[in-house]
Amino acid sequence: MICGFCGLEFDESEGKKGCGGCHGGCHSVHCPRCNYKNPLESGVVKKLKTIFGKIDENKGDTK
Amino acid sequence: MATCCSKQVEPTVGGNAKKVALVGNPNVGKSVLFNALTGAYVTVSNYPGTSVEVSRGSAVISGQQWEVIDTPGMYSIHTITEEERVAREILLHETPDVVLHVLDARNLERMLAMTIQLIEAGLPVILVVNIMDEAERMGLSIDLKRLQQKLGIPVIGAATARKRGIDEIRLAMNSYRCSCEQQRFEYSRLLERDITEVTSLMGGEYILSHRALALLLLQQDEEIVELVRQREADGYAPLSEKVREIAFDRRESFHLDLSLERNEMVRQIITGVFSAPEKRVVTAAERLSRLAVQPLTGVPMLLVVLYFGLYQFVGVFGAGTVVDFLEGKLFEELFNPWIIGVVKNLVPWEIIQELFVGEYGIITLGFRYAVGIILPIVATFFIFFSFLEDTGYFPRLALLVDRIFKHFGLTGRAVIPMVLGFGCDTMATMVTRTLETTRERVIATILLSLTIPCSAQLGVIMSLLSKFPGALAVWGGCLLLLFIIVGLLSARILPGEAPMFYMELPPMRLPQLGNVVTKTYTRMQWYFLEILPLFVLASVLLWLGKITGFFPKMITAMTPVMASIGLPKETAVAFIFGFFRRDYGAAGLYELQTKGLMDARQLTVAAVTLTLFIPCIAQFLIMKKERGWKVAGAIGVFVSLLAFGSGYVLNKALLVTGLLS
Repeated sequence: MICGFCGLEFDESEGKKGCGGCHGGCHSVHCPRCNYKNPLESGVVKKLKTIFGKIDENKGDTK
Repeated sequence: MATCCSKQVEPTVGGNAKKVALVGNPNVGKSVLFNALTGAYVTVSNYPGTSVEVSRGSAVISGQQWEVIDTPGMYSIHTITEEERVAREILLHETPDVVLHVLDARNLERMLAMTIQLIEAGLPVILVVNIMDEAERMGLSIDLKRLQQKLGIPVIGAATARKRGIDEIRLAMNSYRCSCEQQRFEYSRLLERDITEVTSLMGGEYILSHRALALLLLQQDEEIVELVRQREADGYAPLSEKVREIAFDRRESFHLDLSLERNEMVRQIITGVFSAPEKRVVTAAERLSRLAVQPLTGVPMLLVVLYFGLYQFVGVFGAGTVVDFLEGKLFEELFNPWIIGVVKNLVPWEIIQELFVGEYGIITLGFRYAVGIILPIVATFFIFFSFLEDTGYFPRLALLVDRIFKHFGLTGRAVIPMVLGFGCDTMATMVTRTLETTRERVIATILLSLTIPCSAQLGVIMSLLSKFPGALAVWGGCLLLLFIIVGLLSARILPGEAPMFYMELPPMRLPQLGNVVTKTYTRMQWYFLEILPLFVLASVLLWLGKITGFFPKMITAMTPVMASIGLPKETAVAFIFGFFRRDYGAAGLYELQTKGLMDARQLTVAAVTLTLFIPCIAQFLIMKKERGWKVAGAIGVFVSLLAFGSGYVLNKALLVTGLLS
């Protein structure tokens, strides 16, 4: 993912999660460089992206 | 010497996995390449003895098993930060079969110096010139074949974010054969003499070449000094003496000399390899970017953004048109009468009817506020916010306000919690911990709790006040004035100096509809799931307060306070709501206005006081957690007194001047 503030490209697992600031659990990833709060994609969006990603990959040049 | 020449890479059959390490500056697309190579098979763990996280994954390429290591960003083999040290540790101790050096094609000249160091160290390097698509768009041209010849290592052009070049990288990894005739980069005669003198005294076996180690020793790299001391044992004393002697001769100019020589090498390498258009193409995005950070043009630009984005889109459209339809038509005229009828038919007990569909009922108040008022406002706000975020405007805003924020004891970095505060002040308070000094954190917390309204509050206030000419300007003027006064005073009262602020600006770009929709949907989903139970809980508490008589008593108790700032006693309800949640209070204010209980003056005074009023319970608890009871309590008392004090002064001023009457 790309940080919405500083533009750093990072993996979801690299960001900081679970600072305890939000009620109802953590749904964000804080950028490892600037700590900007980036929304964590919801399950629905992830599934849709996976489906479209697979279609796209089949069309593309990757194996 | 165990450099890549002696460690020939042979294809492994079956079991043994080869290792590939991804190295390079931060933000060059290493993680994207890592993900493309590894897919879902990833583990993230702290590098032993550090807090630096390292991602590892596996990949199978044409039957060959690979362990892929994504190292932290590094600028040079001569390390400064902990991240760089970890990256070098991986190169030193994990002996990768291939090192993929990923660099940004747009900054080829700046980043090639590290490629030279990696080759010089004798590592099995493949160079990935990434972000080629952007470079091409800028009119930059890179002759990759010629670059490969000059460097003597495989060079691949890629745009990993667009999956371009991934297959070529896989192929290059599998077919990598380390050349024994690696390119040698010659330094000046003087430096070559120094290197030779040092290397001639080295006898140990190392992963890095003696030549690279000699340069690191001359740069007085502590870890390398320690490593060499252990390996050379008795031979270390003369070596150390020689290094000390050269270091003394060259004194502090060594780093500069080395850097200049490497820059010259890079210049020679890119001659005939890299070309940029004679007149650099200044794109519209770059022009806009410049305008956004210069005060003369940046401030008017900010005002335009706020006018169209916040006022017109969130205030007039979201909190006006959409809320009028949802709350006024859908809930008041259709849904509420129907649900009240249904509940009254189903439930015979009046007290339970009251809980669900009464004055403060879970459905008629809590659900209506959440869906009819707050949801459309935060939805439009999040669309605006995500749009602006995707353009890359926020870091420019940080640079623009940096000079002003310095007077408040803050830096442009404080824009992050301030901007996030418009979404939710509670979470923004938490984010203040990322500011460098305690002083900055305290000042930012005060300003957040005092003058930054959350999205719902902002939307409702804009919608309500826009109906009266001048009211919105008075409200905005009051908040701005207090922001400046409190900021200046805080900086005076809390001693200390504002640290430096600098950041690399990401490119400004046209927002992608998909990104905006995804971010808006995600933010809205979590926001709604968060507020709905709280709104229900608040309704239950208000219902309990009503049936026990506590709530009316509280309103009566607050009547003199309300009267002192010229507000009807019913306004106390919005303040009590506001303490549960800021957005709940804003919705309460909306309801009072629709009932016609307040004129323009009263509405403006209520809006100013409610915006400044004590932060909601959640924000207060976070303040306590972050700053401790004393500071949080002091901020709470200060903010409340200032809110009502400002309301009192504003009310008197409006009465005396006759403004808004």
